[in-house]
Amino acid sequence: MAENSETVYICRCEEVTREEVEQAIRDGATTIAGVKKRTHAGMGLCQGRTCRKLVAGMLAGSRDPAKILPATFRPPVRAIKISEIAQGDEE
Amino acid sequence: MNGQADVIVVGGGVIGTSVTYQMARKGRKVILVEKGDLASGASGSCDTNIFLQSKNPGIHLQLALASAELFKSLREELGHDIEYHPKGGMILIETADELKVMEGFVARQQQTGLQVEIIDRREASKLQRGLAEHLVASTYSPQDGDVNPIELNLGFARAAHRLGAEVLLHREVTGCLIRNGRVEGVETAQGPLHAPAVVNAAGAWAPLIGKMAGLELPIQPRRGQLMITEPVAPYIAKGMLSASYIAAKYNADKLRESKSRAVQLGVGLSLSQTEKGNILIGATREFAGYDVRNTHEAIGAVLKNAMRLVPGLGPFHIIRTMGGLRPYTPDGLPLIGFVDGLEGYFMAAGHEGDGIALSPVTGKIVADLIVDGKTFMDVSALDPNRFT
Repeated sequence: MAENSETVYICRCEEVTREEVEQAIRDGATTIAGVKKRTHAGMGLCQGRTCRKLVAGMLAGSRDPAKILPATFRPPVRAIKISEIAQGDEE
Repeated sequence: MNGQADVIVVGGGVIGTSVTYQMARKGRKVILVEKGDLASGASGSCDTNIFLQSKNPGIHLQLALASAELFKSLREELGHDIEYHPKGGMILIETADELKVMEGFVARQQQTGLQVEIIDRREASKLQRGLAEHLVASTYSPQDGDVNPIELNLGFARAAHRLGAEVLLHREVTGCLIRNGRVEGVETAQGPLHAPAVVNAAGAWAPLIGKMAGLELPIQPRRGQLMITEPVAPYIAKGMLSASYIAAKYNADKLRESKSRAVQLGVGLSLSQTEKGNILIGATREFAGYDVRNTHEAIGAVLKNAMRLVPGLGPFHIIRTMGGLRPYTPDGLPLIGFVDGLEGYFMAAGHEGDGIALSPVTGKIVADLIVDGKTFMDVSALDPNRFT
């Protein structure tokens, strides 16, 4: 894939391009999780805060927006050190 | 697309897609039907470890050894990078009691043909940094490996599709079509699919699918929770488990009796690192129905356990957690074979935490049995009728 100043990144954390997201949709992704599974968009440090809406917008091009399942939300709400979690409850 | 095939496979995880791929390779017309997306069940909630060492000596380990052979050429075969690495694996041993148990386990594994040995703490530290001072010993097998389970799942599906299989996603099976004691297909929300053979590869949901055919399948969902770090430079050199992981896997009944909450949760260490750099830290073994959520207590218990065994993990940040359902069976072996009294109904489910490792060989065995009526090894111990 040739990268140049015109390359559009949808997910900055995982460096997933618009073309890669479009390919994932062609491959059968119909949900935000489906795009994530196939491209890693949304798996990075910000956990989709930046790209979630962009991906949903791209899915809406080929799917009824009301049918696009939102991404799941899981702990933690922000990145946290393993040592902090491991000692946390003993305070 | 006319809804007619030689075989219908229910379930789009690694087992279902592996079976679909192998059947398509044999020239059969296959329809794979999945209620969600590919890798939506256990297959999408794993770490990267494919351990031979965690398999029970005997047929379980024999299956895993055969499967490990198949992994070697799978990337080329599928034309898809599954990120397979034969990096070797260690089971960390913390106490003298654990050492005694593991010595027996290792001896039986060696008898089955696995290359594995017990090494001391100093040798273990040469293989992996950051290990706790108090570790008594470790095992090591060069035959353990790792793989990207989602890419494996996608790879099987893509290759199957290329060979002519139909992959129907977001299509829920709602019933089984049966006439005069033989299977004729499945009912779905978007209309029936017809085939003289149906493979139930629905993992933790296999009992729900089985009920539609009047079957009571002894498969129970067993939740595992995993923690995921940000991508970091290569740190986990070998796949790692702990002796307590093995104990939790095979002694579900004993866990309930413990006074320790961590033991009740089935906590045991699993540690792996993806090619991209994320470290995956597990795991629990809980009977919690079909609830895949993460719990505060399990996150704490898993990470406390990990820190105790590998204190070097401290500085890394958790950015995400995952929960998934292993399909648990009473004897720890999957159900593979035709179901008595229902002609054409084939089981391929119940792999507990071994689905990724056993997916290549399961696909091969299922396709062999359905198309040729025989396969390369004796799988009578996996007979789905053995519990009745």
